[in-house]
Amino acid sequence: MHIPDNYLSPATCAVLGAAMVPVLGVSIKKVKEEISKAKLPQLGIGAAFSFLTMMFNVPLPGGTTGHAVGGTLIAILLGPYSACLAVSVALLIQALMFGDGGILAFGANAFNMAFVLPFVGYFVYKFIRDRVQSEKGEIIGAAVGSYFGINVAALCAAIEFGLQPLLFKGADGQPLYCPYPLSVSIPAMLIPHLLVAGVVELLFTVFIYAFIRKVSPGMIYEGAKKKSKAVYGLIVALICLTPLGLLATGTAWGEWGMDEIQEVITGGSALNYTPSGMANGFSFSALMPDYSVSGLPDAVGYIASAVVGVALVIIIFKIIAAFKKDAAAKTKA
Amino acid sequence: MPEWLQKNENYMPREDKDTFINKSILSFLALIARIKAQDKKEDRFQANAFFRVLFTLMLVVFVSVSRTFSFIYLVIAYLLLLLCFMPGREIAKILRTGLVMTLFTAIILLPTVFYGNTYSIFIIPVKVLVSIIAVNILSYATRWDQITIALKRFHVPDLMIFILDITLKYIVMLGEFSVEMLYALRLRSVGKNAGKYNALSGVAGTLFLKSRDMAEDMYAAMECRGFTGEYRICQKFRFGLADAAYLLINAGIIYIFIRLY
Repeated sequence: MHIPDNYLSPATCAVLGAAMVPVLGVSIKKVKEEISKAKLPQLGIGAAFSFLTMMFNVPLPGGTTGHAVGGTLIAILLGPYSACLAVSVALLIQALMFGDGGILAFGANAFNMAFVLPFVGYFVYKFIRDRVQSEKGEIIGAAVGSYFGINVAALCAAIEFGLQPLLFKGADGQPLYCPYPLSVSIPAMLIPHLLVAGVVELLFTVFIYAFIRKVSPGMIYEGAKKKSKAVYGLIVALICLTPLGLLATGTAWGEWGMDEIQEVITGGSALNYTPSGMANGFSFSALMPDYSVSGLPDAVGYIASAVVGVALVIIIFKIIAAFKKDAAAKTKA
Repeated sequence: MPEWLQKNENYMPREDKDTFINKSILSFLALIARIKAQDKKEDRFQANAFFRVLFTLMLVVFVSVSRTFSFIYLVIAYLLLLLCFMPGREIAKILRTGLVMTLFTAIILLPTVFYGNTYSIFIIPVKVLVSIIAVNILSYATRWDQITIALKRFHVPDLMIFILDITLKYIVMLGEFSVEMLYALRLRSVGKNAGKYNALSGVAGTLFLKSRDMAEDMYAAMECRGFTGEYRICQKFRFGLADAAYLLINAGIIYIFIRLY
């Protein structure tokens, strides 16, 4: 899933890189709160561990092998914030020192594999673990979490690819970067991940998790003691997806325009008609149609929309946090 | 002597597909060798790592943004010239990585011809090749501790550099540790290995536990030596002939990029 340079436009890379800045900032803050200074070396060694998990070749049916990413496993073992930092560092070393995965695309790669993958994986795991409180629950959580994590990350990568031809075209209308639209990029990325890579990731995670749980259960990250609310997990999932939804100029999966719906591919064949309910439905394109601001080039409007979106999300969360504090103060009093 | 010792036995282990152990060993060894090759590297006649990191980044951005083939062509010429000064073995490795990725990209893009797409099918693989060569020249020709120093000069936070530093060192240490475990696993896997996943999870799981121990040991060592995680550059920033030449070439690249854009 390492995206090389020139598959994505520099603007996309810049937006995703900018999205990673607050994510990394929050992660560093959280990690500093969670682990004492005594455990700081753990982060570097965790990054080395996450780098090395990709070196293990896992046997696949038929005698072939494949390798896992291990993002969810690291999130379960070290906690999602440490995992985010560890995987980011591993990706940076791969890009800068090994020339593996693009330098410009580092932001995009980090977004998919260091942010979306471990967080989605971890919160699915935690959601299941909190509800099925037994050994089985934990194992099932790790299994479902790792499978979900890698597939959502692959979906993000597919959306990033699929947006390129919509947003960045030359004067002659030819795409400048990845030329495949969402209708091609999503199945192309997701089918192999759903069928093969997801299964490898699941097996790898579950077996190692079970081993460590048996041998040294105290080593596994505890997280917050209290039961996480379903809403909490949902919000995190939404944060993961929000920037992508915003970047999607009208054609994120499930957000097709009227003219596009008939080209949506279901089960290999195009839909070829527009559902009537949609044709006569209410149109919502008042404020920023297709997220492009008239009078500006597409790319600039697109970045501005992304900034507005991310800023709005942060503002909303700050307000929610402020209200929560007030409520907490009230209940104490 | 007991009777069973005198009996002739003809044990033929059953064939098994255990390539995953060998493949894992190979990928670990390749990784360790790549990092260890860094130690032997002498400082060649070359510009300061700070400039090299800065201008490699610039070049990658320019190539990505550029829409004229003539600019990319000039960059190719420049990079090939740089390659000429490198040892043959490294040139082969750099070109192989670049060409494999380029071929892969070209195959992926092939179907777009049917969409009437002639621009990307040609230019994107070339751009991928150029970027990969540029970054790999940087990574092969520069010692990584020099890249760390460059990052410090870019005011990357100490915490990040600290983590980066430890990561590189411990990739080697943990990597050697896992290679030993994999050797042990291979020696013990005679005949059919029914518990492939158990074997592998044992190795990877032990690796994790070992990494935890090492982290604690390392902190103790840090404490004993009074290291607080703060980095200071002890090297003076020298500006030599190589730097001047390098700056001049890159000024030329910037000029051409602006002219052609």
